Parts: sequence; structure tokens; C-alpha cells
Amino acid sequence: MKVLMKNIEMISYSNCEGIIRPIRFRWLEDGQEPKIIKIDRILDRKEEKLAGNRMLVFTVQSIIDNVERIFEMKYEINTCKWYLYKI
Amino acid sequence: MGNRIIMHIDVNSAYLSWEAVWRLQHGGEIDLREIPSVIGGHEESRHGIVLAKSIPAKKIGIQTGEVLWQARSKCPDLTVIHPNYELYMQCSEALMELLRRYSPLLERYSVDECFLDVTGSLGKRPPVDLALEISRRVREELGFTVNIGISYNKLLAKMASELEKPNKVHTIFPREIPEKLWPLPVKELFMVGRRTGPKLHRLNIFTIGQLAKADPRFLTEHFKSFGKMLWRYANGIDDSPVNPWGTVPKGIGNSLTTPYDVDNKREAFLFLLSLTETAASRLRRAGLMARVVSVSIRRKDLSFSSHQRRLFSPTNITEVLFKNIKTLFLEFWGKEPLRHFGVAFSELCNDQFYQVSVFDEERLSRKKALDLSIDGIRGRYGNTSLVRGSFINSGIPPLSGGIMEDYPAMRSQL
Repeated sequence: MKVLMKNIEMISYSNCEGIIRPIRFRWLEDGQEPKIIKIDRILDRKEEKLAGNRMLVFTVQSIIDNVERIFEMKYEINTCKWYLYKI
Repeated sequence: MGNRIIMHIDVNSAYLSWEAVWRLQHGGEIDLREIPSVIGGHEESRHGIVLAKSIPAKKIGIQTGEVLWQARSKCPDLTVIHPNYELYMQCSEALMELLRRYSPLLERYSVDECFLDVTGSLGKRPPVDLALEISRRVREELGFTVNIGISYNKLLAKMASELEKPNKVHTIFPREIPEKLWPLPVKELFMVGRRTGPKLHRLNIFTIGQLAKADPRFLTEHFKSFGKMLWRYANGIDDSPVNPWGTVPKGIGNSLTTPYDVDNKREAFLFLLSLTETAASRLRRAGLMARVVSVSIRRKDLSFSSHQRRLFSPTNITEVLFKNIKTLFLEFWGKEPLRHFGVAFSELCNDQFYQVSVFDEERLSRKKALDLSIDGIRGRYGNTSLVRGSFINSGIPPLSGGIMEDYPAMRSQL
């Protein structure tokens, strides 16, 4: 996987326990039309606190252009921003 | 005090490491710690010195504190990054929070150093094992490395952590003093600075061991009570407790380097006022008053002067402090261009009770109430929500000096 760390627009779901789940996001690749990607499965979730900066890291699986792909997303808690980290 | 076990934890190249980790977390491809890089101030406003350096930069000969153009001349490809104090506070807080899981007796010494009293937390575990676990957790969870020194007191723990770096755990227990502490150059001893070192050399004291074996009366003769303290430190004697509540400061001050040379009274007063506003506000917030007021300047030729005065009554009122600062400044300024101003307040006392004198200025209580109102408004709506009229259209910031609120600057005492 290649590191992109691209800021993206995300729709997510939070349950009563405060667990966040990414649902679908808009990905604008350079020179291409924006794509709406639905997240099919969350394979792994963990929290990192590098440099004291809390981020939730999700390893997810989706179908993009008819191909099943696994990639990583990050949610930065103090800024509430989502990133497409590695794909 | 019995056998305490004290650790001194010190982040390796803190500013640079923290910036490096933040960048990697945000998708950066290069680890700043692996290339010649420094954290440096803003050259445009004449704050361009090296604040932190990577190991490759150190190997090239770049030193902390040197000016950036000099550092670049040693390494034209040097990567220079501006400081980000909010990030450093965040990293520091995360480190302290992790360490508090091991003991509540944590005393923050600076933004990247602290003491931890683990006497009650060890159980049957050897202290070195605990230190290695702490070091590993910091590295894995927070992404940066620390040095840890272990001993029975703060002084020896601090000296131990400064032995070989980075990412190491060292001990200097009393039985190890002759082997690990005494061979070191005397300038490596805590509290031996640029002035004390040469003075000790003139007395034929070049190593910490020679200082330890010197007659304490001889040292007292040359350095007064400081000499006795040096002898105690050279012998590894220090009883200071790890105080989680911090210590009362001996002085509060602020200084700044101006972006241009100042050669007129009006602008000099404005810079001094902006420093006084910040420092006086810190005095009031700490519940303290000052009896000694000091002003310092650095001229265009880099020569330095300072002047101080003892007030009749202690105070923390901005107007009173500034009136004295102006008088002091005019007493020793010869109208030459200046590049740096500093104000400092010392001989601090509690502001709850003080002896009122008949020489007290009139309407002191009204001035005090005004200051408290200003502090309250600024605390609620921001520092620049209320500024003095003389700063309008001056181009000079109304509050300056220091880095940011509550930034833990390094202390000079244990």
C-alpha cells in the first residue's frame, strides 16, 4: 500500500458507546472524477497516540472500480478530520 | 530519607523528535531524525537560532543555540523547521500522562524532562527493569525515545540520564559515583555553568571528583553558600523531594528580541510595557508580588546590560511595576540602538498578606482592581481582547515575551 494521507469527506456512524464506524466517503483522485466509496467491512480498528495526537486507525475493505481493495483510514480526534491514509 | 528510587526522564532531541513523529503520523515519508535537520526560530524576526538538532546534524557539528546561517554554512542541505509550541505541549502532556500511570509523584522539570519517584511502585521489580518498560512504552505508544536516569535522589538521577544518549537507561547509585560521576569534567555537574566552570579551573578543579574531594570550607570561601552546594552535588548529596505540585519560582520575567533595532524612547517603552503586561499578569496569576524589579537590554553590538531596584513595598500592579521599569531604563540607556529587552521581577512573596507602608502610592486598591478586571476579561475573551491605547498603530504587539501560557520552562533548581 502507498501512503497518501489525503483529507477526505466522510459519513460515519457513532453508537451510544461512542464507537465510530466509517460508512462511505468521497475520494477525489488527481485528474479523475470524484468517487463515492462505500466501506464494506472494517477488518481492524486501533487507536494510536503518536506525539500525543490521538487518531483512530481503521483497516477497511471496499470494492473500488470492481476490484476488492484493502486500505487504511485515519480519524484525527482533536480536529475531527478523516484521512485516506494508505491504499 | 531512606532509599528512595528516583527516575529522571528526558526526551531525546525533544522538539525535533516530536515534530518528526507528528509528520510521520500525518503521512510524511522522511523521518526528520534520520537526516540533517534542526528546529529553528524565525530568521525574519531575528529569532533564527537552532533550538534542537537531529543526530546527523550533530555529527556535522551543528550546535544548539547557534545562528541558523552558521548552521546552514556547515550543511547547505539542512532542513529547517519552525517551532510548534502547541505540539510540544501536547507531546509533553501525553508523556506526563503515561508516566503518571507508574507513580503519582511526578514533578515536571521542563517541557521534556521530569522526575518520577517510584519508591512505592516498584514492588519486587528491579528499577532498571521498570525503566526499560517505561522507555519501551514511550517509544511504542508515543513514538519518541527517552533517556532515563535512576538513583536515590534527583541530582544523581539527572546526572545519570545525561550519560550516553539516545534511548538509554543509566544508573548512578552512590557506590557508582567514583566510577561514573567523578571522572566527568566539572562543567558537566548540574549548576556548573559558563562562569563557574572557568572559576573552578582557576582553582585547579577540572573534574567532578576533584571538586568532591576539595575542602568544603575552601569552596565556601570562594563561592559562599553556592560552594557548599557544589561540594554536596559533586558527592551526590541531594535531599530535595519530588514535588508533584511544583516549586515557587524565585523570579518571573520575560524578554524578547525585537525584529528591528529600536532607537527611540517611545518604542522602547512600548516594548518594555508589553513585556511588563505579560510578566505582571503571571505574577498575579501565581498569587505573588515582587520586591525587586530588573530591566535588561542588549545593544546592536550585542553588549548586554541590566539594572535593578528594590521597591519599598512589594507589588504586582502593572502600572507601579512599569513606572519603576521606565525609571530604571532611562538611568542606564544611552540612546544607542537596542535589539533585545528584558524585564524580571524577583524577591517574590505571597500577595495575600503584606505590610502596608505610609509611602504606598495612592489609589493602590483601585489600580489592583483594574488589573484584576483586565486579567479577567483577557482570560475569558483572549489576550488581545483588551489592549492599551498606546499600542494602536504602533506595529508592536501589546503583550509579548515568553512562548505561550503555562509553557513549562526549564528551572535552575532541583
